[in-house]
Amino acid sequence: MLIYVARRLLLLVIMLLGLATITFAITNIAPGDPARLIAGPNATESMVETVRQQNGLDRPLIEQYVVYMTGLVQGDLGRSIVSTRPVVDELLRYFPATLELVVVAMGLGILFGVGFGIMSAVVRDSWFDHVVRIGSISGVALPAFWFGILLQLLFAVQMGWLPISGRLNLVTLPPDPITHFLLIDSLLQGRFDVFTQALSYIIMPAVVLSFPCLASILRVNRAEMIEALQSDFVLAAKANGLSAWRIVTVYALKNAMLPTVSIVGLRFGWMLGSTILVETVFDWPGIGLYAVESALYSDFKPVIGATLLIGFIFMIINFMVDLAYIWLDPRLRESG
Amino acid sequence: MRKLILGAVAAAALSATALTDTAQAFERTDDGIVIVFGGRQQVPVLDPHVRYDWSTRMMQQSIYDALFKYVGDPPEIEPWLAESWDVNEDASVWTFNLVEDATFHNGDPVDAEAVRYSFVRGLELNQGVAWMLADFLEPDGIEVVDDYTIRFNLSRPYAPFLSFLPWWYIVNPAEVMENEVDGDYGTEWMTENAAGSGPFTMGRWQQNVLYELVANEDYWRGWPQGEENRPAGIIYRIIREPAAQRAALQRGEIDIAEGLSSDDYGQIEDEPGIVIQNHAGMTTFGIKFNTQQGPTADINLRKAIAHAMDYDALIDIYNGDAVLQTSPFPQAIQGHIDVEGIPRQDMDLAREYLAQSEYPDGGIELDYYHVAGLEEARRIGLVLLSNLAELNIDVNIVPEQWPNMVAAGSSPESAPDMTSVFVTPVSTDPDAVAYQYHQNSWGQYFAMHFYENQELWDTISEARSLSDWDEREPLYAEIQEMIVEGTPEIFGMLQNRRWAHRDWLEGFQFSPVRFTGEVDLYPLWVDVE
Repeated sequence: MLIYVARRLLLLVIMLLGLATITFAITNIAPGDPARLIAGPNATESMVETVRQQNGLDRPLIEQYVVYMTGLVQGDLGRSIVSTRPVVDELLRYFPATLELVVVAMGLGILFGVGFGIMSAVVRDSWFDHVVRIGSISGVALPAFWFGILLQLLFAVQMGWLPISGRLNLVTLPPDPITHFLLIDSLLQGRFDVFTQALSYIIMPAVVLSFPCLASILRVNRAEMIEALQSDFVLAAKANGLSAWRIVTVYALKNAMLPTVSIVGLRFGWMLGSTILVETVFDWPGIGLYAVESALYSDFKPVIGATLLIGFIFMIINFMVDLAYIWLDPRLRESG
Repeated sequence: MRKLILGAVAAAALSATALTDTAQAFERTDDGIVIVFGGRQQVPVLDPHVRYDWSTRMMQQSIYDALFKYVGDPPEIEPWLAESWDVNEDASVWTFNLVEDATFHNGDPVDAEAVRYSFVRGLELNQGVAWMLADFLEPDGIEVVDDYTIRFNLSRPYAPFLSFLPWWYIVNPAEVMENEVDGDYGTEWMTENAAGSGPFTMGRWQQNVLYELVANEDYWRGWPQGEENRPAGIIYRIIREPAAQRAALQRGEIDIAEGLSSDDYGQIEDEPGIVIQNHAGMTTFGIKFNTQQGPTADINLRKAIAHAMDYDALIDIYNGDAVLQTSPFPQAIQGHIDVEGIPRQDMDLAREYLAQSEYPDGGIELDYYHVAGLEEARRIGLVLLSNLAELNIDVNIVPEQWPNMVAAGSSPESAPDMTSVFVTPVSTDPDAVAYQYHQNSWGQYFAMHFYENQELWDTISEARSLSDWDEREPLYAEIQEMIVEGTPEIFGMLQNRRWAHRDWLEGFQFSPVRFTGEVDLYPLWVDVE
């Protein structure tokens, strides 16, 4: 088991270095002159050269790569050419907002995906099942930006129930950062008004982000539940007079969860990557938005930094999913 | 089990409705009213000597003062920190007397040394605004005459000098030097901190979210709307999507918005409570030809294309909120003339020019580049495609990211046949536009025509060195005619600048020399009645 974990961790480091190399190559091969762009439309050649020198862009690409990778292994991701600030500081500034959004969206995805999946399987081929299945197809098919704007029009403009965008009301001071999650920090500090406000701001982006994930979880969970409910051990449980609730939630669900855990893990990484559109529509100040704004300026280092961070988390989640597999399935544990 | 399902659905519905909360009125604080501006562009670097674009400059203008300020339409240069000035005959020595009651936010006086330090800093950093004066002003040429008198000894005569001074903001040397690290002129600190004397100080600065300006009660110049109407502050809130911006304005979450689409402006202009500011701007839209390489190096072909273009369609695309260019110079530029013979659609003339070109029967394909995502520019490409089809010329419309377009336009070898470009001059002096057609501008995005004309270049150089406007004026008339004759681009239109705001917002003052979305925040106030 320990050897397995060590091997996976080593592989993770190698993959990260590979990801850094590929991202560095792609961003630097792409056309565009960030120095000229940052120097401004009227900048003289000497001004452009100043920006190049300040950001090390005047050095050969291979030298830039060596400097970057040396910095990377020391935890230094360089500086943003646009904001002139260290990329690590900026990622730390933006990441909590993204993580909070993804965690809430994932929570919604699991809660409603698993919940509706179970219910749908139990009342298979009923009107409820049909509605849920149609909804799940929509969830996969709807473009996030379009769905987001629709929700804004309906719930913010027409009904006036929810705020359009942002994380908090403009004049509300955020709680002191402890976990950097507004929802948790506001609760920890007893600021319930801020908590409900933060909740009202996060609900629309979280729903939009969770929808495809919810749909995937639902479909997988429903299929697995149907299979489990038709199995012999469920028949035996019924014959032994166990309650329907117990059969569904204890016996069938545990057997149906293995593929669900797998899809949750994959979807978590996918969500981190797909926050870009949702964060743009809802002006959610996370790393997706940061990466997009940087890419528009050909500001490579933040793009590489954001990619590495998302990649790193994606790999860690996959690693944890593998461990969860072992925990859920004793056969895997025995085979080592 | 069915009861279980129904219960779960009901619980989910209840929890969803319980979270709903109506948007609160957010402009009222204990200190007074806070105006909210919704804009699409962030303010990554506040340092006035390092960066400027419209959103950045809007913040800089609010926090800092300059010797002069552009106001009004047509724009005029109003003395601000400078009280009076004097210039020698050949426009090489400029002396300014400063007001004596101006103070920085920390109470330090804004004196001649602060002005000298600020200009030296701007020149030494060699970023942002430096290009405006770098060719004419050396740090050694800035001289403190006395506490409130500063003199600029230019390395050569430069009449437009004054027209650039509104963009050179004065920083507090003491504060900057206090935060200097390794001789960086305090740039790291100045990225998100300020050392100014302007009407606002910095409040919350949440990058990519909101930037708060707090009104400086003791502003040395006072408040034009009166103390009783002065807002407590302004929040510049980032809203990137035009649809979300429009919705926020309709809902009253923001007081003023920039950057809505043409259709959005059209759809909300009759809504109660919404006011549209619609003003003739100074940003030109042109289609630059590559005059050095490819088919468009042929002047007759360029003229044929320029006469085939349906100019009325340009106005239609902007729902009538644009005016055609009648010269390479925008109308608000000093010395502008309506150039006789500037191309308008005339298919017979277009065919005549085509017949004189190397491509008398057409049969060629030309690339038209526009910024990806800029819908109006794409639609203009479609107009061009349709018009040139009549000359048997095919147009390949290529959307491209702005950085890539700038890179492609840096040399004649890589510049596309035709590129649609918006250009905003930074001053009302004609040199700001004329110099775009000088060889020294090659490599810049606005000069991706690479137009070669020695006579034109010499005239431009001569005109910028003269101090007497009476001598300069005829030269600029000549320059405008020479540029049109060479047809380095299709001179398109000037798109109107538009903002939408709630009807309670007062004090909006337009000046075309400001950048696209930029608003002077200083005179704004909210009429609570």
